[in-house]
Amino acid sequence: MKGIVFNLLEVVVSKEHGEDAWEGLLEEAGSQGAYTSLGSYPDEELLRLVAAAARVSGRSQDEVLRGFGKSAMPLLAERYPQFFETQSSAYAFLLTLNDIIHPEVRKIYPGADVPVFDFDTPSPNVLLMGYRSQRRLCALAQGFVQGVAAHYRETLSFEHLQCMHDGDEKCSFQITLYRADGGDAAAR
Amino acid sequence: MAVTQPRGESGTTAELARLRRRLDRERRARTEAEQIAEQGLRQLYEKQQEMLLLEAIAVAANQAASLPDALQLAVDRVCQYTGWPVGHVYFCSGDPGQLEYLTPSTIWHLAHPQQFHPFRLMTEATRFPPGKGLPGRVAASGQPAWIREIGADSNFPRREAAMQVGLRAGFAFPVLAGSHVAAVLEFFSEAPSDPDEGLLRVMAHIGTQLGRVFERTRAEDRLRHEAFHDSLTRLPNRALFMDRLRRAVSRARRYPGYDFAVLFIDLDRFKTINDSLGHAAGDALLVEIARRLDASLRQDDTVARPGLEEDESAEDNTLARLGGDEFTVLIEDIRDASDAVRVAERLQKAISAPVNFQGVELFATASVGITLGSSGYAAGEDLLRDSDIAMYRAKALGKARCAVFDRSMHERAVERLRLESDLRRALERQEFRLFYQPIVKLQSSRVVGFEALLRWQHPQHGILAPAAFLKVAEEMGLMPPIDRWVLHEACREAQSWQAPFPSDPPPSISVNLSSQMFGQPELVEQVGAVLAETGLDPGRLRLEITESVAMADAERTDGILRQLKVLGVRLSLDDFGTGYSSLSYLRRFPVDTLKIDKSFVSQMEEDGESREIVRTIVNLARTLSLEVIAEGTETKDEVRRLEELECRFGQGYLFGRPQPLDSEGLRALLRPPGKH
Repeated sequence: MKGIVFNLLEVVVSKEHGEDAWEGLLEEAGSQGAYTSLGSYPDEELLRLVAAAARVSGRSQDEVLRGFGKSAMPLLAERYPQFFETQSSAYAFLLTLNDIIHPEVRKIYPGADVPVFDFDTPSPNVLLMGYRSQRRLCALAQGFVQGVAAHYRETLSFEHLQCMHDGDEKCSFQITLYRADGGDAAAR
Repeated sequence: MAVTQPRGESGTTAELARLRRRLDRERRARTEAEQIAEQGLRQLYEKQQEMLLLEAIAVAANQAASLPDALQLAVDRVCQYTGWPVGHVYFCSGDPGQLEYLTPSTIWHLAHPQQFHPFRLMTEATRFPPGKGLPGRVAASGQPAWIREIGADSNFPRREAAMQVGLRAGFAFPVLAGSHVAAVLEFFSEAPSDPDEGLLRVMAHIGTQLGRVFERTRAEDRLRHEAFHDSLTRLPNRALFMDRLRRAVSRARRYPGYDFAVLFIDLDRFKTINDSLGHAAGDALLVEIARRLDASLRQDDTVARPGLEEDESAEDNTLARLGGDEFTVLIEDIRDASDAVRVAERLQKAISAPVNFQGVELFATASVGITLGSSGYAAGEDLLRDSDIAMYRAKALGKARCAVFDRSMHERAVERLRLESDLRRALERQEFRLFYQPIVKLQSSRVVGFEALLRWQHPQHGILAPAAFLKVAEEMGLMPPIDRWVLHEACREAQSWQAPFPSDPPPSISVNLSSQMFGQPELVEQVGAVLAETGLDPGRLRLEITESVAMADAERTDGILRQLKVLGVRLSLDDFGTGYSSLSYLRRFPVDTLKIDKSFVSQMEEDGESREIVRTIVNLARTLSLEVIAEGTETKDEVRRLEELECRFGQGYLFGRPQPLDSEGLRALLRPPGKH
């Protein structure tokens, strides 16, 4: 897992629960805690931190991941504004993941093991999104999607139609996006 | 302690705050360092991609099998590099530097062919003059161009089609061959895009690389053109003509309604012009005639016939120069032979107008042989061969004619080929024989000499007289060796019969010299050598040359005859009266005998004019102190008449047919009179 994810997690936890909370989590998870976005760290370590956070907060790991994903999005938008500025809706932004954003990630980190999404666009505000990853972090993906919608000031309904955790070969999400003012997000 | 406590507490708070600030600084420094590193990594990656792209283009430019292959690869790689889904190539039409318009090629990269199909159709149906649309702008300026947002561009004729398939931004750059634009490459993206100077710099490199392929291909095309064209007239050469001809043959086999013709054109007397006025004149004549043939063919009035599929439609007529003064024309799609004959006659007319060369008017005529494709030929070579045969036939009919090939011509040509090959072997197989015909003194019927006459003991046809093969042997250049053999054999046999048939004076032996033999530079030496080898008394040898050969180059003849005279041989002018003799030369030539052509002798009785000619020749001979022999003497009446005219010698069937040495008839003649 790329160091940026650990960095984001640190910022999110520190912001929401204070800096000591992050120290506590590191202790709880038995992690050293020195992460740089340029490095890669065992997936295992992220999962331990998530598990620790779940224990400390009394929430499920999925809830922790969703919350983390959603809260991380503004940070990403701040650090990599060009990806957000060139798109005018969550719908359009999500469709750039495979073709623009992940290729960019690979440019910087040639070995980055980014997930592969597949998309189907059955109607102007409905997106069918497939997710495949050995990490099975579909909850994090969901959090990110929610964060994206929030960034564009849209609301969404997120149906998790299939899940790798249930033995399906991939996760599939049906995402319906609405403008926060009640309009349909298709007016891109 | 109590005093220090608050201070201590506040000290701890202050220290904590300091530490926090320090931590914050460190964190910011780390984030900044990470961003700098990320930016560097990204640039490194892009540079690598750029290098890979340029490398791939360079390899393609050097190794691609063809120009389209190199361009296709370039378009694919640029699309891969930019992630833009559409790429396309235009070729520039018109002479280099004189761009007329851009022609859309069929070289495309389409990430989603179906989606972009309407745009492709629209593009391929559009012509872009310089300045028009994206490619036109590039072609006119020689500079790359970028369209940020197609919807907002006023000079983009394909805007609607582009918007319809979702294309929003585009750029294009020129392929420069030397200093002119040879092609334009254009690319489109589905999102509006700001100009990227770095990208355009890379594209400029690609344009230069591809330009080299254009230059190389042009050079190759030039070479190829040279390989298939005649350098003097710029017409297609034999190789190209044969290629077109073979295609016509195979087309005729597939489409029964299709017919074509091959014209074989040969200038009459071209060699004379070349020899007399020089090669520059000959070349100028060929160039002018090529131009006229070409112009005449272009106003062709044969109408293309329906029924051929489009890609099989007849090509233009092909005019080629095979070499020398030989031209060929492939006339596509004729109705029947009359079409071909009409074209041939028009071409002959075009040739016949005088050509001015440095103030001299050259007149040329041409003989044309025609072969029709409908005759069921399987090979173009056969068609060309038969057209050549027909051309020779046309020449034989008289100059400036045309002849359509038929089968009998082929048979004659085959016969001739067979004759040539037989003749070539006749000498080494010793198939030539000498027959001897007596020359007699008319008054006494006494044999005074023999003329050695060539015969060919042909393995299939039996004995052949020279009329059957002499012309061919002459054309093959075989006469000098045959003549040498005749000379040697005649001298040897004449010497050999002296012992068994002694006579006094011994009979002379006459040997004919062909014009080719007479033209040999070492003729005198050869005659001397034969006399030495055979031991024949030179005074017994009479060398005969025809009047026309003697007069062809009288100055030289005079010299040669004098040298032969020095050897001691005697000289006769044969076929006298048939040519045009210059009296002044005749007086100078050291000849001993005139032989009156048999045509005058045989017509003497019926034709007063012939009689007068014979009389004139005899009188002339007497004036010049020459002997006269009447050839072809066949009747007693002729002998009487000749005696009246005071002609002293005769030769003909009346006195004896030509016979071989070992024949009884000849032996009888060789025996001295009274010893029968």
